[in-house]
Order: sequence, then C-alpha cells, then structure tokens
Amino acid sequence: MAIKTANFIDPFDNAQERGVAGVFGMWVFIAVVAMIFLACILGYLVVRFDQPPGREWMPEGTPGLPPALLLSTVVLLISSYTVQMAVRAARFNRQTQLRYAMGATLGLALLFLAVQALAWKELWTRHVTIESGLYAWTFYVLTGVHALHVIGGIPPMVQVFRRSMEGRYTPTNFTGVVLCAMYWHALDVIWIVLYATLWICTALAVLAV
Amino acid sequence: MTTIQLPSPGAISDTIEARPESDNYLTHTRGILSWIFTLDHKRIGVMYMWSVLGAFLLGGTFALLLRTELLTPGPTITDSADTYNQWFTLHGAIMVFLVIIPSIPAALGNIIMPIMLGAKDVAFPRLNLFSYYLWVTGAILCIVSLSMGGFDTGWTFYTPYSTTTTAGGVIPVLTAAFVLGFSSIFTGLNFIVTVHKLRPPGMTWFRMPLFLWSIYATAIIQVLATPVLGITLLLLIVERTVNIGIFNPSMGGDPVLYQHFFWFYSHPAVYIMILPAMGIISDIIAINSHRAIFGYRFIAFSSIAIAMFSFIVWGHHMFTSGQSALMNTLFSAISFSVAIPSAVKVFNWIATLYKGSVSLTTPMWYALAFLFLFTIGGLTGLHLATLSTDVHLHDTYFVVAHFHYVMMGSALIGMIGGLHHWWPKIFGRMYDQRLGTIACWIIFIGFNVTFFTQFILGSQGMPRRYYDYQPEFQIYHVISTIGSYIMAVGFTLTAITLFGSLVNGKKAPANPWGGRSLEWQCASPPPFDNFAKAPRVGDCYDFTVVHWDPKIGGYRVDESNDPEVNPAAQGTKAAH
Repeated sequence: MAIKTANFIDPFDNAQERGVAGVFGMWVFIAVVAMIFLACILGYLVVRFDQPPGREWMPEGTPGLPPALLLSTVVLLISSYTVQMAVRAARFNRQTQLRYAMGATLGLALLFLAVQALAWKELWTRHVTIESGLYAWTFYVLTGVHALHVIGGIPPMVQVFRRSMEGRYTPTNFTGVVLCAMYWHALDVIWIVLYATLWICTALAVLAV
Repeated sequence: MTTIQLPSPGAISDTIEARPESDNYLTHTRGILSWIFTLDHKRIGVMYMWSVLGAFLLGGTFALLLRTELLTPGPTITDSADTYNQWFTLHGAIMVFLVIIPSIPAALGNIIMPIMLGAKDVAFPRLNLFSYYLWVTGAILCIVSLSMGGFDTGWTFYTPYSTTTTAGGVIPVLTAAFVLGFSSIFTGLNFIVTVHKLRPPGMTWFRMPLFLWSIYATAIIQVLATPVLGITLLLLIVERTVNIGIFNPSMGGDPVLYQHFFWFYSHPAVYIMILPAMGIISDIIAINSHRAIFGYRFIAFSSIAIAMFSFIVWGHHMFTSGQSALMNTLFSAISFSVAIPSAVKVFNWIATLYKGSVSLTTPMWYALAFLFLFTIGGLTGLHLATLSTDVHLHDTYFVVAHFHYVMMGSALIGMIGGLHHWWPKIFGRMYDQRLGTIACWIIFIGFNVTFFTQFILGSQGMPRRYYDYQPEFQIYHVISTIGSYIMAVGFTLTAITLFGSLVNGKKAPANPWGGRSLEWQCASPPPFDNFAKAPRVGDCYDFTVVHWDPKIGGYRVDESNDPEVNPAAQGTKAAH
C-alpha cells in the first residue's frame, strides 16, 4: 500500500494510517483557524467596548445587522448537514447519495457566499461603508475573513466532488470526504460564534440608544 | 516491553551496510529539477539550510553596516538617519523572520527529525515542500520591499508609525512576514502530526530524544501563536492601504491593541527560536559527555512548560505602553516564573556534565558557549521583567543586549552547534575540528565584546535604534563594533571550515560522536529512504552500549549485552 518511487517515499504503511494522520492534521489546522478567529473576535470586543468617551459605536440612524445574515446562517447549517450526509454515504458505500450530498454542499457553499454578498450590498447601499466608522469596518472585516475561509474551502471541495463523481471513495478509504466535512463543520461553528458575538454587541448598542 | 517487536541482534548493522555506499539521498536522483520538486524531507531541509544561511549572510551584512555607522556620533558611513533606520529594521526583520525562526525547526528539524524518530519522512511531504516555497516567496517579497523604498518601522511594525510612514516597502514586507508565518505554521502542523502518528513501534514518548521534545513543543507554539500574527499583519496591510481600521485612534481604534496582538505572537516566537536550540544542546551535551542526560523527564516537560508559559507573558513587552498597574504586576510575576523551567534545563545540563567523560568536540564547544550565553541572557531577562528596573531599561541597549544573548548567543549558537553536530551526517564529511573550535572561540569572544558592552551602554541610558548619540557613549560603541568585526571573522572561519570539508573533508563514519539516537544508526549521508528495515529503538541516552571502533574511525552501538535484544545476556549488562 505504501507508495515508493524514485522521488517519493510514502511515510505511511497503508491508506488507513494516512487517513488517521490526515484527520489529526485537520484537527491541528482547525486549531490554527480557530486562533485566527479568536484574535479577530477579541480585537472586535476590545474596540467595541473600549471606545473613547463621547464616541458612539453606532451613531443615531445606523442600521443594525442585515437580516440576510439569518438566511446565510440557515444555509450554512444545512450545508453542514449535507456534508455529514456525504460522510455517512461514503461510509456505507452509497455512491449516488455521496455525489448528491457533495454537490448539494458545494451549491450551498456558493449560496452562502451569495447571501453574504447580499448582506454587504444591503449595508453598503444604506451608506454604511468602511469609512462610516469601526462598527461598519469590523462588520466587513469579520464577515470578510470568514468568507475568505469559505472561499478557501471551495477548491478542495470541488476536488472531493470530482473524485466522488469518479467513484474514488470506498468505505475503507474516504478520508477526503471526512476532511472536507471537518473543515466545513468548523467554519459553521465559527460562523455561529461570530454571528452571535456581532448580534449581541450590536443589540447592546441599539439598546443603549 | 513485551509489546515491542524485536528484530535479530544483527538488524542494526544490516541497516547500515545493506546497500551500496554511493547511493544516498544526495545522489539518489540527479539534476536540478530533482531538487526543486523533491518531496524528501532531507533535501527540503538542505534547501532550507542553504537559504537560511544565505539570509543570515544578508542580515549579518546589515548588522555590520549599522555597527559601523555607530562608530562615531553623527554621520559615519551614511548621512541619512533614514538609511540607518532601514538598516536596523532590515537586520531585525531578516534575522527574526527569515533566519532564526526557520533555522532550527525548518532546516535542521526537517533533515534530522524524521530520522531521529525512525520515520521515513514527515507526515505530509507535499505540505513540507509548500512550506519551503512559502519561505522563498517571503524572502523574495523582502527583496521586493527593498527595491520599493525599504521600510523603517523596526521589525515590530508598531502602529501608528507603520500605517503612516512614507517608506514605500512597508506593505511588501508585511506581506512577506504574513507569508513566512504560514510557512512556519505548516511546518509546525507537519511536525506535530509526524511526532504523533509516525513513531515506529518502540519509540514511546519518553524514548524520544530531547531534540524531538523541543521541536514538538516549538511546533505547538508555531501552530497556536502564528495565526494571530497572520491576522494582525493582514489587518495592518488593509489599514495601511485604506487608512481605516481598528488600530487607528482617530476612528476610535486602539494602536496599543496592535502591540497586544503583535506580542501575543512575538513573545511565543521567542520560544520558537530558543526551544529547538535547547533541544540541540541537550543532545550535544549528553552525547559528548557520553553519559545519560540528567533529568530527562524534567527537561522534556520543561520544554512543554515553557511553551505554555510563553502564551501568558506577552504583556512584559508593554510595561511602558500604558497598561494598567495591575496588568503590569501580573505580567511581571508570570514572566519571572518562566525562569523556573529554563533554570531546570540549565541545571540538568550542568548535572549531565558532572562526572561525564566530556569530549571537547566542536559541537560541544558550541554547547558550552550556549550554557554561558544563555545563562547571562536568561538572567538579564529578570532585570527587564522587574517593573521598577524595566521602566529605566526599557528601549535601551540593555534590552538589545539581553535579547541578542538569547536570540543570537543562544538560539543561533545552538543552530551553529547543531550544524556542526549533524554536518557529518548531512553531507558525510568530517570538517577540521581544530579550525571549527577556533572559530567557535572567536565567535564567543566577539559576541561578548559586542553585547556585554551593550549592557553597560544600556544601563547608562543609551536608547536603542538611535542614529546619533552623546560623545560619552562613543567608547562603548567602538568596543561593540570591534566585537561585531571579530564575530564576522569567526563566522567567516566557520564557513571556511564547513565548506572546506565538502571539498577535502575526510569521509564521515555513521556515528562520529558516539550518539545513540536513530539518526546515528543509519549511514552518513543517510540513504534516500532513511532505513531499509524499521530500526530497533533503544534507550537513546544509554551510552553504555556505544563503543569506539578504531577500524571505522567512529562509534558503534553494540547491544549484544542488552537483555532487551539478547535475552541470553540477562544480567551480564554492567551495572551503570
């Protein structure tokens, strides 16, 4: 099982071991991503609650968070469900279901990005631009950094989708699907924490006004 | 012990002799493309090594330039203070991001770590090569930033100066640091997974050589701290581009928040630099004392403890940045506690030397130099962690001297020591040890002349990063500059020694120093696949089975008396 050519020595003895290491590596990578967002959220909280006296976080008339975010949250949650469905399908060798589930996840990922873009457009047309102040700035940065991670997840997902169309995943070897699902769930959880933080902090500002 | 699969007693010598001598990782495939696209951890490590040494030459040149400028107050070799600012910034940024951080983990770690562990490669060879090319991209961006007008922010890129300075190269260099950060993250990720998942049977956690423990602790920091730097630099790049952001006080942002973010990474980064060096020193001292390392578990756990502490002490860089008195006190107290695991290591190394049969090889001289320099560097850290003294010493040459003792006197000396330690393994050639030892002494003397003087300079109030100074400081600056020239001579001699060995060095035996860990049990240079058969993992600090063999001019591991290998020999093993 271990691959050995003139240029490459597979450090693993078989695909199972490679898969286990891949999953472990993905956990470490998720820790990396989590640290990025932890820093983002802490930075946001500091500027949000440590404004100089006399400066309002949301001046009178500033619109709150776009309602489209609720929709995108639902879309992301559903995509988490479909990607998990893909993992189960691969485990039980249900190839057709695997293809549909991966295809659906890919579609939902693109839909999520489209809805996020709508949310940005909505705020922007209501004159909440990056020049409006840190309320707007932090909103665009936080959602933007998350969107970048979603965009970064799409090429591997396309790859997994392509491989599932080729029927390359077997019940003993479907690490690619699992890694995809792990990353996707992580982005989902991060989004929920991010959205909750934004929502609570914005609501506090609205209440204070 | 029953769970370990034991091959026959002859297995180890089989692994060394099983194939033609000429077939090793350097000669296995040929042509420049076989290097550019290699996935072999040893070749990637060698490419890292040359690249890092190249960057070291560049960073060292800037160091010599700025030391020369400081020979006299006012203009010496440049009329422009801006040029001087760019020199020290480049010196710092190159040395930190391009040299010291990748030097041990990415260069020596890549070459040695999998062999030491008994693995065929790191867990993700492609990711490993990708990390290297990220490093190359970062290096190119640094050079691009030079051609775009350079940068004068200091390597710390403090806001609001970094967002407002007119120097044209700030954005490329921030991008460079960002890219280099990801290079470091992926190396760390690779090493964590390798240590967890690629230990062969018998290589338990507590049989790992201490170098592996320190590389592992380093990898944890790389993975958890570097992302914070990444996002911070990204925010800084955007903020500098559009002039809006959370570090901009005119918008209600907080420039000190940048310092918190930066040091949340950059303090742990100090341990990314020093921990691997500590690992190298542990192994060099044990091997050259031919004596089991004293307090193995204490040293191993102190690496992990240092890694943990490193995340909660960043505020000691900001005692004068307007932190509250309470925060300052807490950070000061926690910073003191880092001294404990560091001291545990130093005492254990000294205890290992005690009653050891010390061979004064070139790597051992570097290890001894490390002991002196690290102790001075570590203890002067306590002056800086003490609030009442730090208020005076902050941003003076005292700080410069302190961190050079740790970063250069310890991390870099550890790296050069490791280079001498594994050079025969990497290239299969012995260097002239007399020349190497003389070079080590010249560097050691030059180093102390340069930087001990700066402790005095700093305690008398000379601020760091200044182009001009009061005439009363000149004598110290002159001494310090002379020291830097002495070091330049020492490093040149080191280069002559090492490169000379490639031309006319004696062929190196598999085990020139008497090591017991696995990398000394495969040929020098190692074969392409490291081990033909899975090697037997022994106690890597039990040197009683390592014997000098005059026939091969090196050491040989003879385990025939080891009951673990040869049950018939039960009880005959000498009671060491």
